[in-house]
Order: sequence, then structure tokens, then C-alpha cells
Amino acid sequence: MFSVILYGRNDTHGYNLHKRAAISFNAIAEVMSDPDDEILFVDYNTPDDHPTFPEAIHDTLTEKAKKVMRVLRIRPEQHAHLRSKTHLVALEAQSRNVALRRSNPRNRWVLYTNTDMLLVPRIEGESLSDILGAVPDGFYQIPRFELPEMLWEAAFDRRDPAGNLAKLRDWSVRYHLNQVVHNFMPMKYDALGDFQAALREDMFAIHGFDESMLLGWHCDSNLAARLALYRGRVDTLIDKVFGYHCDHTRVAAANNKGRQTRMNDQDQYIWNVSTPYVPEQAENWGWPDVEIEEVRLDRETSYQRFTAGLDAALKPATVPYTSTSLEWFLYDDLTYDIDHTLPFVADQMLTYPRSTSVMIVGARGEFVERFLTAWRAMGFTGPVLVPNECEGLPSDLEGEERGAFEDLLPRAEMFIFEFGLATQDAEEPIRIGRQAGPLDTKRLKVVAKLFKQAASMEAETRPPGRRTPRRFVGVNVIYNKFWPLFTDYVGANINPFCSQVLAGLPRVDPSLRGKVLRFRGRRAI
Amino acid sequence: MLLRLSGSLREALSTRRRQAADEWVPGGNGSEAEHLFLRATALFRTGDGETAIRLLRQAIEIAPGFSDAIEAEAEALDMGGDMAAASAKYEQARRLRQAGRPGAPDRHFVLRQQGSHTAEIVAYTRVLKSLKKFALPHLARGNAYLADRQPDLALADYERTLKLHPNSLDALALKGEALSALGRHAAALEVLDRVIAARPKDPEALNARGIAHVALGHVEQANGDWRQQLALLGGRPAASAYVAMRLADHELALAHLETMVRNDRRDPYWTVYLRTALLRLGRPLSADGFVDGDPWVSSLLALQSGKVSESEVMAQADSAARRAEALFQLGVAAHARDRSAARSYWQQVVDTGQPTLVEYAAARNELARSAP
Repeated sequence: MFSVILYGRNDTHGYNLHKRAAISFNAIAEVMSDPDDEILFVDYNTPDDHPTFPEAIHDTLTEKAKKVMRVLRIRPEQHAHLRSKTHLVALEAQSRNVALRRSNPRNRWVLYTNTDMLLVPRIEGESLSDILGAVPDGFYQIPRFELPEMLWEAAFDRRDPAGNLAKLRDWSVRYHLNQVVHNFMPMKYDALGDFQAALREDMFAIHGFDESMLLGWHCDSNLAARLALYRGRVDTLIDKVFGYHCDHTRVAAANNKGRQTRMNDQDQYIWNVSTPYVPEQAENWGWPDVEIEEVRLDRETSYQRFTAGLDAALKPATVPYTSTSLEWFLYDDLTYDIDHTLPFVADQMLTYPRSTSVMIVGARGEFVERFLTAWRAMGFTGPVLVPNECEGLPSDLEGEERGAFEDLLPRAEMFIFEFGLATQDAEEPIRIGRQAGPLDTKRLKVVAKLFKQAASMEAETRPPGRRTPRRFVGVNVIYNKFWPLFTDYVGANINPFCSQVLAGLPRVDPSLRGKVLRFRGRRAI
Repeated sequence: MLLRLSGSLREALSTRRRQAADEWVPGGNGSEAEHLFLRATALFRTGDGETAIRLLRQAIEIAPGFSDAIEAEAEALDMGGDMAAASAKYEQARRLRQAGRPGAPDRHFVLRQQGSHTAEIVAYTRVLKSLKKFALPHLARGNAYLADRQPDLALADYERTLKLHPNSLDALALKGEALSALGRHAAALEVLDRVIAARPKDPEALNARGIAHVALGHVEQANGDWRQQLALLGGRPAASAYVAMRLADHELALAHLETMVRNDRRDPYWTVYLRTALLRLGRPLSADGFVDGDPWVSSLLALQSGKVSESEVMAQADSAARRAEALFQLGVAAHARDRSAARSYWQQVVDTGQPTLVEYAAARNELARSAP
């Protein structure tokens, strides 16, 4: 019957976002009763190494919310062409249009709201699907009632939407919450963006939200103006449903700078709107030709993929624990435990697209083999690129592609540099003072050289059309001699030694030292 | 030039006293009912819900189809705590707004709207008291007037918009529609020519110009505009079906009509038009049309099946538009056995029908095609 369209990002937009959003997702799912109903959450521009916002809070969502939710992930790379035109990190019009384009065509209605709203049907037991199924075609708004922060934060249980809706019915009377704030037409009510129900067909006819609105604010009013023109009237559902907003003004959100807030021009986008259509974007609103990843919370979750990968690549431990050491005199010992390290490497991968192509430059053949097994079992479809320059690595593995480093460089979307000892045996004890042999040194020299070249030339060797930098994962680069090398070139965090893994984007160091490093790296001096 | 000047003079002389932009003029529900509505809504805001309800009931008694008054009463009842009564009133208002036939889907979006728009006219007039220099309130109110069949008031709003925003092609296109609705097709044509020169791919303007052309008897030009519109519709079935019907291209209309009969069970006219196309193509009607709860459409379907007579259906045609619909169907029914009778019915459609009707254009095309 209806598709709810929401958007956001895995960040901290305003106060206690996680609780507000969980309350809202669960409450919206609670009032859905048609099998075609869906919540489309567009996760816009979350960094690639983070999970989407709903994935990050999935444990606080009800089974029903997880079942009806489709997460559409817009990557930073897909936002890159707009980055210079806006100060915002998440764009409303683009997000909502991407969802609209991909919404269930069987649904008659699209409901635009936000991740801090609870919708309470006035007749207990009635669903929003029932309500929208019974009303005639039109464009509907409802007033927004404010909920003091204390109430939702202190009294709501995230995973009890029915209880939360019951509390709202009670509080609305006891605490006089229901005040309708009328507004100038075509905005029938204040804060109209928290409930605008339009026919899916109408939204397609008017070309969705206006994607030239890149500065934030008024996207909802612009839509109201255009739909009011298109439909001729703005109808109300105040007799059917009340909408409550979890107030979150203790801390200002990123797009709220008080009187200094930059916003879309009201005159242009509201008061001088003269047509419902946006002909400039008639063919391309909602990015119809862009492949948008879809994430589900009820199937093929990251956790399921992660465990599938590791279960395929690892055998369970046979001892209660193993040990290693970071004492300084072991600085030159490059032995490490693949079984222990692989989960931390896999952890770096899961939030990336399944089609990612990854380049592995390393010394230990076993690492490459085990990684590839995990990679495939985690559902990745992109190739694992291994440069010919890396001698001694297996070359006949399924999904592996060999080639000259120079040729593979512009195909790689992520890099793994592994600094192990080619001669390390699987049964060898770890970090007991083992020195590298001549073969190890020779192989590591190649890895270091290719690493410096890849990091120094990252920007100019990107795949055609790519604007965002690629991620570098370093394996066995903590508390050993490759630690300074890796962190000279890659802006990695300080990680615990136990993980053995560092990751980050190539550093852009404008100092003289940085310039010298880049110069030397490019020429692998 | 002379023609243009004389047109402007006529226009100036025929315009009623110029209204101020923010002056409210009562519309389709009648002056008395709308004044009561206005007074009631003002009283309601001051907290006198009881008097407001009384006045609204008086307004509804005068104009039973006044859906905005019914909705205002619903709001007053709801705030007074009578949710059950309020809910019934809200439903009644919604049903009233859906009553009647929606505008043709190939027309300008304003002309697809249904019902009266008093509340919108009042609301946008209020906006105009503080925001006089912006396009939206003028256009939105003009559209409400146009949808309420008050094209003279709509025209005034569109002209105000054009004064403020002389390059607004949207306002110009709407001015063309208002002129057309006033029967001033030559003036509409002039305006729409300008719109289409600047926006040759505007399907709604092409449709409007086609209607102006056909009203002036320029069938070939009208068809040219509609063919262009058809090409721009990208196969959207509802609009494409209507354009194909205007062109009396029954083969083309058929596929779109079949889609619409499957997809939109709420509008019984899709069945009528599907059967029209089948009849004109000499193909059998698959089954008797049955439409629940719409006696007029049922009688058209019965006419197509030969189950009612001409006099019976004409007796039920209670408006000029319905008479034109019936006459067109009589022509379709007669065509297979007596072409001159069919022509005579279609000629009556052209003589008495509104050029905006799909039957009018179709009849024009049928006549042009079957000219002896």
C-alpha cells in the first residue's frame, strides 16, 4: 500500500540519534499491515568503512522493522560529483528520489517522513495501511506534535513500539501535547516534512524532489508547493492519524547553525514556484542508471557474511588461547598468526561493495589463499588482483587475477599490503625473536616498494571516473619496522597490537617531509 | 496588428472591475454560502466553535456540495471532542471531492482537478495579503478559480503573475488555458504559440493548443499538436489513450485503453472508451460492460450493447457534456449500418459540445475522415 521514504547517515545528527531513530523505525513498522509496505532508508554518504546507519543499530530494531526495511546505500563516490556544490554531507532531495525510483511499484502511496517521527492512528488497532487504503487520491499532510526530549528519552523502550504508541495516547492528553500549528498555504501545517503522503504516480509525474536544492532546508515546502499546484489542494489526515516528533534541540544538528544557517532560497523554491514539474531533471531524477546497493537487515546481513567467510577459511581453535608479545626487542620479528589476524582483515572489507576489486601485495602465500577463501565466502564478487612482481604467491586460486602491478593498479578499488615472512611455517611459534632470512627480505623489499608506489600514486592511478581515494589495509604493520613505513603514507588510526591490522586513506602531507616521501615513493627509492 | 489591438480593447472593455490582488471573491458555492463559511472559520479561530458549526451548517444547507464547509465543520466537531461525528463529516467531504468525473488525463494538470476549491481560494488570498510579489500564491489561486470554472478570475490572477514575472512560461500557458475556457480560442492560440515556441516539448501546452485549434476548426493543426504530444508522453497509458481518442485513432487507443481498464477500476469511462474503440474497429465486444453505481455510465454501456434506445439515453443526459457523450456514442453505434446517420450525430457533437471534450475532437476527426 505504501512506501515510507527516509534518509540519513551513520553519523551523529543531533542529540541521541540512535534512540530516536530506533523508536521511529519500530513505530512506523508497527503501523504497517500490507505485505507490500516497506520502509526505504537511504543511507547517504556514510564512509565506506562504516556500516549503514540501520545496520549500526539493528539490534535495537524489532523483527518487523527489519523485515520491512530496505536500506539503499549511496556511497561517498556516488556523492563525490556534488561535494563541491554543498556544505552538507547528506542530501535530502537526492536521497528521497533514489528511494522513490526504487520503491515498490505495487504501492499506491509514498510517505515522506523522518527518522524521529511516531505515527499514531487515532483509532486503536487501525493501521496506516488501512488508512491510506481507504482515502481517495490526493496529497495529504498532518500536523506535527512535539514530544519533549525527557519523555522519549527516559520513558520509551526502543523495542516496544506498541507500548510507545500507547504511552503517546496517554501523554497527549495528560501533558497537552496536541497543538496544531497552522501555516501559510501551501504548507498546511508547520514542519510539514514529517508527514507528506503523495501518490507514487504523482511523484513520478512531477519528477520527484527538486535535486537542485543542495543547501538544505525547504525541500519539504518545495514539494508541498509543487504537489499543491499539481493536485489543486492540500488535504489533511488529521482525523485519522497523529504524528509526534521526538524533539532533539538540546544539541543542534549539523545543518542548524542558528541565524548563520545556510539554506536553499525560500523565494526561489517556495514562493516563486510556478510549476509542479522539474523538466531539467525529467530523465535523470533519482539516478535511474546508477547502481545502488541494497542492504537487508533480515537476510544476508554483514554478520552472516562475516561468519560465512571466516568459517570457510578458519578451523576452530584447539587451545583456550595463544600468545604473542610487543616487547621492544621483538620489533624485527615479523611472524604473526594468520588464524588470529584474518578476522580483523575481513572486518575491514565487509562494509565495501560486493563488486569491489582488491589488490593483495604480500609475502605469505598462505595469507593470500586463506584471504581469498574468506573473500569468496563473504559474497564478494570482485576479483582479487595479485601483481606478478610478488613471487612465491599462489597463482591458480579461484577469483584471483594476476598481472603486472602497473596494469592492475588502475583496476584496484582497495589495497591490502601484507608484511609477513614468506618462510613462516603455519606451525611456527609467534614473536619469539625470529629474524628474516634472505628470501624473506627479498620478498618484503618488493612489498615495501610496491606499497610506496601505490600510496604515492594513488590519486593518479584511480580507476577511470573515480573521485574518492582508495583504502589501504596493512597486515602485520603494528609495533614492527613496517609500522612507520605504513603510517608515513597512510593516515591510519592507532590500533591495538592484537589486531595486527591498520587501515586508512593515503595521507596528504603538505609538509616538505611529505613531499619528499611522495617523491621517493613514486620512484620507489 | 489591428486584430491584436481590437482584441486588447475588447479584453479591456469586457473585464469586470479590477479586483485588488488580495481581495477575496466568492466562487462556485455561491456568495451567501461562502460568506457564511468565511465568517464561520474566523469565529472558529476565536474559539466560538458552536456558532461556527451553526454557520457552517447553514452554508451546507445552501450549498450541499460545499466540501470545504463540511470539512471545516468536521474540524470544529473534532476539536470539540466529538470524534465520531467529525470523522463522518471528514469522510463526507472526501466523498464529495471525488464525486463527478475527473478532468481528462491528457490535459493541463489544473484541468484534471475535481470539486470546488473555496478553502484554497481563501487561503491563497490570505497569503497574498502579505506576499504580493510572488508567483505561487497568484498562480495557485488562479488555478483554484480555473478548476472551479471561473476562468475570468483565473485569468486576472495569471495576468498579475505575468506582470510580476513577465517571462513565466508557466503563467503564460495557464493564461492560454483560461482564455480557452472563456471561449477566446484565437487569443489562446496566440499565447500558446509563444509558449510552444519557447518550450516545444511541453505536452500540456501542445494539448491546449490542439484544443484551441480544433475549436477554431483547424483540425489538421490540432492533430499535429496532439501527435506531437503523444510522442512526448512516453507511452503513459491514460494520457495516451485520451490523445489517441481525440485523434479518433481507435487502433492506437485500444492498447492504452486495455491497460487502463486493467489498471484503473475506479473510472468507469475506461470501459466505455474501450468498447467505443472496439465498436469503431468492427471488433466484437468481449462482454457486457458493467459498472457498479454509476447510472449514467451504465446507460452509455447499455447503449453500446443496443439495450437502450436513443430517446432513453438522451433523456438521462442531464448536462451539455453528457448530451455530447451520448450523441457521440449514437454516432459510433450507427456508423456500421448508416454512415450518414453517424455523421449527423457527430455533427451535433461539434455543434453543441465543448471543444475540450474528447468526444468533440473525436467527432471532428470522424467527420473529416468520412467526408463524402
